[in-house]
Amino acid sequence: MEMAKERPREKMTSGQKALSVVFAVISVIWLLPIAIVLMNSFKENGYVNSELFALPNANSYVGFSNYVNGVTFGNYPYFLSAGYSVYITVVSTGLILLCTSMAAWYISRVNDPFSKVVYYLCVFSMVVPFQMVMYTLANTARVLRLDMPWTIPIVYLGFGAGLAVFMFVGFVKSIPLEIEEAAAIDGCGPLRTFFSAVFPMLKPTLISVGVLEIMWVWNDYLLPYLVLDITVYRTIPIHIQYLQGSYGRVDLGATMALIVLSLIPIIVFYLACQKHIIKGVAAGAVKG
Amino acid sequence: MKKLVCLALALCMVLSLASFASADAAGKVYYLNFKPEADQAWQDLAKTYTAQTGVEVKVVTAASGTYQQTLTSEMDKKDAAPTLFQIGNAEGVVTWGEYALPLDGTELMNEMTTEDFNLKNADGQTVAVGYCYEAYGLITNKALLEKAGYTVADIKDFESLKKVADDIHARSAELGFDAFTSAGLDGSSSWRFSGHLTNMPLFYEFRDDGITEQPATVKGSYLNAYKNIWDLYIADSAADAKKLSGYTGADAEKDFYDGKAVFFQNGTWEYSALVGEHGMKAEDLAMIPIYCGVEGEENAALCAGTENCWAVNGKASEADQKATLDFLKWVVTSDEGTAMMAKEFGPIPFKAAKASENVFFNDSTALLNEGKYVVTWAFNYTPDVDNWRAGIVSALEQYSAGAADWGEVEYAFVDGWATCYTNTH
Amino acid sequence: MSRSKKMADGALTSPLIRKPIQRMFAVFLLPTFVCFCIGFLWPFIQGIYLSVHSFTTTTNVKYVGFQNYAKAFADQGFRQAFGYTALVAAVSLVLINVLAFFVAYALTQEIRGRNLYRSVFFIPNLIGGIVLGYIWKTIIDSLLPVSMSIQANYGFWGLMVVMCWQQVGYMMIIYIAGLQAVPMDMIEAARIDGANGWKTLWNITLPNVMPSITICTFLSLTNGFKLYDQNLVLTNGAPVRRGIGQTEMLALNIAKTFSTANQRGVAQAKAVLFFILVTAISLIQLRATRSKEVQQ
Repeated sequence: MEMAKERPREKMTSGQKALSVVFAVISVIWLLPIAIVLMNSFKENGYVNSELFALPNANSYVGFSNYVNGVTFGNYPYFLSAGYSVYITVVSTGLILLCTSMAAWYISRVNDPFSKVVYYLCVFSMVVPFQMVMYTLANTARVLRLDMPWTIPIVYLGFGAGLAVFMFVGFVKSIPLEIEEAAAIDGCGPLRTFFSAVFPMLKPTLISVGVLEIMWVWNDYLLPYLVLDITVYRTIPIHIQYLQGSYGRVDLGATMALIVLSLIPIIVFYLACQKHIIKGVAAGAVKG
Repeated sequence: MKKLVCLALALCMVLSLASFASADAAGKVYYLNFKPEADQAWQDLAKTYTAQTGVEVKVVTAASGTYQQTLTSEMDKKDAAPTLFQIGNAEGVVTWGEYALPLDGTELMNEMTTEDFNLKNADGQTVAVGYCYEAYGLITNKALLEKAGYTVADIKDFESLKKVADDIHARSAELGFDAFTSAGLDGSSSWRFSGHLTNMPLFYEFRDDGITEQPATVKGSYLNAYKNIWDLYIADSAADAKKLSGYTGADAEKDFYDGKAVFFQNGTWEYSALVGEHGMKAEDLAMIPIYCGVEGEENAALCAGTENCWAVNGKASEADQKATLDFLKWVVTSDEGTAMMAKEFGPIPFKAAKASENVFFNDSTALLNEGKYVVTWAFNYTPDVDNWRAGIVSALEQYSAGAADWGEVEYAFVDGWATCYTNTH
Repeated sequence: MSRSKKMADGALTSPLIRKPIQRMFAVFLLPTFVCFCIGFLWPFIQGIYLSVHSFTTTTNVKYVGFQNYAKAFADQGFRQAFGYTALVAAVSLVLINVLAFFVAYALTQEIRGRNLYRSVFFIPNLIGGIVLGYIWKTIIDSLLPVSMSIQANYGFWGLMVVMCWQQVGYMMIIYIAGLQAVPMDMIEAARIDGANGWKTLWNITLPNVMPSITICTFLSLTNGFKLYDQNLVLTNGAPVRRGIGQTEMLALNIAKTFSTANQRGVAQAKAVLFFILVTAISLIQLRATRSKEVQQ
């Protein structure tokens, strides 16, 4: 895999050493925005704007009070929005993985005209920008009463099916038939064949698709903003956007604390499954 | 133990059933509130009402500058739409009139002492009742003004206002305070200038031209007056004019209650925050008219009017309509309701109104008693109001930072009006 | 496209398993298909239908023919948004890909700590546009003499910084995968022939990573055209000059048009035009880069 690295050059040139130093510096700069937010989450509101780049000092340091204020700030409890975000992300991703992998298997194994049409529609949906359907989708979701966190995964499955079906079909068609045929001869029904033989083999694609869907749903703003009843249900991105300039009082310190809180799950997720994430991204990119 | 759990469960069930039953019979209230600053007071009042009557009252407050947008999407929800909402002006009647239940002859109307602030549709039916009126002007810290060697009586017109303000600004280092609070253009503050301050040129133009309904175009004939006062606000204040978009409403309020500025353009509704929350002394406060260099303005009183009119959703179920009307009647007659209204909204036009200790209303009345003319709320005619104001804010922002000339503000004011009118008609 | 054709023709199947699966249509395909109809197909069709109607709510529509399209074309704000979006997409395409390629190239060299650096570069990609935009807005506005919402060029370059910060790490991953697949013997052969580093890069490495370049240009171009969250948070289209948002991109322009009640038909027409534009770009661009691949 890492063959480009195995370059048989014995001499570690001074150029490469310099490059290493340069990248160390760039990496620090790259992470600076996150560090600035973290730093300012410990400052009193009034100091955030005026001394953004200064470390907290005796005057401005307020300990964790921004975090304490932050969770109730903005007329909406933060942890409720975090809860909705987690719930929607997990359920939507699970639903997408289960349903689209089954659909993809059906499409590639049955391969009748209807399956083909569905498949091409899925491929087509991948290039359609969200704005094209933003109004009508929100409207449809409202009419069908899908405007709650419990039901929004259905909308996500619908709008996100394209990429997932495409990726699964691409993988399924590379699986040799023998195993499934053997299972059929042994008297397994399609359901058993799928879950005991095919599904385990899909694991790499399941992970790739899962990573992509998690990243999409967790960070999505416009779809939940339009579909959900935002007077009652808010996800983290909606919550953060609503802190801007609304409700008369803007508490920048508390906002910074909320941003830190919303970054923590992302960073934990990244540290825990870095390898899968990078593979997922590389695999998903081939979608063109 | 088991018994106890069973008992608790049974109790819960009975209670929840009971609450369901009563909610069903009595209908429920969903108030889409317009004023973020009164959100807490409404939430508390709703809880009190529910505790007393068992009727569910949900209060939702739209973020500032998004009321129309929120109302549009909330009204789309057929059986979960607001039962009580706000119509702000004549344009609101055009858009929402058909959703509003005619209120003539209701018990709520019978409680009113004046119908001056009510809104009627083309058929003459009352579709929204003005439940309070408000006045705004320059809130003045009299104690600081005296420290600088002046009194309120020294300010009679724009010229004298400018003289006082320029002098205070020039001596700000020595005095320890400046003339004006920051003219913040953050969303939490910008409405003071894009909404309330633009009323000055609009009012005088409409007065000259005898305009009594929403015009398709405006001329901006008094925009020079608007420029006078805006220039004064940004010149005689400690805030950096290049960074106004970063200053919030809270910043300006803080300048004022911390004693860092003498003048604070705001309205009667600020009283409870300044005196109640931040402990300023009522006797130190006064509200004077906004002078901007228009002929005869020494005879002007405060800007008074309302954009707070209740409308009941006529498309809601009958039970909900009744529940809403009952709730409103309770608000304007009960002890708790009138106390809250007096505190948040000042003297309300209802028989059972509690006296208000708000000195700003007393100033308003005093000026009227001297025979001065009311500067009415001409901005109530603004078409597509959120968008028109957004254009003004962006123009003011650029002008103040020196990135654009005054023509940009003129364009946003005049051409922006025409565009907004076409887009909504 | 070519990939899907292959599938249709040479799909692996056998009657032994085909029939039983087909009988379970309702379990395997139906749920996805129904949701797909709700979440995409029906809204898409209704969108096209509504674009030739005037409406405030979907229960009350009036056929107006191509009036909405005429209005969309006549809309100065929409035309400005189109030009600005094209500019953003083009400049960000170049910046992101050049940066990402060189970062990837450097991080496939033998550098100490390169895995750590790769991780660092990738992190911003996990942060959503809203949160990320908010972070940068705070930082950029306090660095500049005036806010991004006042000077349109500040807003433009601010957006570039944000887009690069977010996307360079993502594209880097794809380029690294491409670079690692370059056959070592070709590079060795070039070196023995006396080609210097730049020549090798130009003549051997670049043509070999052409598939990655295709993917990345495609991705960054469509990302640029569809950008919404960052645009909303950073400037929300401001400054407004002569009634036109100077930094308003297409997606934001469309969303704003939808929020004015009786402009919804026009907004939907704009959305259809936007869809045609994005699709056309994807196809043209894909074809152009693919043909180059074939040549070498």
